[in-house]
Amino acid sequence: MDKNRLSAEDIGQLYERHGPALVAYACGFGLDRGNAEDAVHAVFHRLLREQSARLQNPTGYLYRSVRNAALNTRRDGTRGTAVDEAHFVHSAGDVAAALALQKALGELPEEQRAVVVMRIWSGMTLEEIASASDAPLNTIASRYRYALGKLREKLQPYHTE
Amino acid sequence: MEHDDSKFESYLREFKPRRPEPLEQPALRRPLWPRRLAAAAAIAVGISALLWSGRENREQIATQSFQGNPLQLASETGASELLLLPMTRLALDDPQQLDEQLTKAARTSLPNFRKSDSTLRVLAKE
Repeated sequence: MDKNRLSAEDIGQLYERHGPALVAYACGFGLDRGNAEDAVHAVFHRLLREQSARLQNPTGYLYRSVRNAALNTRRDGTRGTAVDEAHFVHSAGDVAAALALQKALGELPEEQRAVVVMRIWSGMTLEEIASASDAPLNTIASRYRYALGKLREKLQPYHTE
Repeated sequence: MEHDDSKFESYLREFKPRRPEPLEQPALRRPLWPRRLAAAAAIAVGISALLWSGRENREQIATQSFQGNPLQLASETGASELLLLPMTRLALDDPQQLDEQLTKAARTSLPNFRKSDSTLRVLAKE
């Protein structure tokens, strides 16, 4: 049994674990929610069709593929995020904070946004992110630190530490 | 600083990305190559059987023609073109025997003009 081969069940679990974060990540490229979901679905459908494909790092593959799909969709002219369309739900129902977070994420450089999304909402360690991104761990750690600093600044009005 | 980071991380985790629509599993296409391979194998077997059977027939006819009367075989099998070789050989080896056999064959295979209603006789009268 090849451990790198993904079964339909594995792919379903990947979708459960990373699907929401991947859609949020795709939205960061300026796609509306529907197009972001379509981009993510297209990536998973391709993975389902090519179940025999060997993937060393499925999560890294998913993020790279979603990025490409989102950029293609944006290049095709389909874009336009509605400002009041929240991609995040706050546990205490703070819609304004959710929209502020969304806006702040969209303003981050792409590499920093990817690291934050992978770390916070895909639950990956910095080492896993480094491996998925083909980047040195120190670079990933720096990106993460910078990103957190910017987000903290932007969300200051909503978050009291 | 690290403590601040972890507190802020916890705050960020209070936000959950909205769940996308469930993934509809597309009808998984079965790989085509096993069916193509089976079809190719079936075609190859069919062609081989056809060729083998044809070759067997020819060999059988050729064997029989060397053993028996080539002209008789020709009339029986309808494969006169296949008997050209044994007849040529007979003509070279024993022209007299070939002549005899041709005469004998002519009696049965050529139209009989001695009969009263034979076509040749009718035509001859005209």
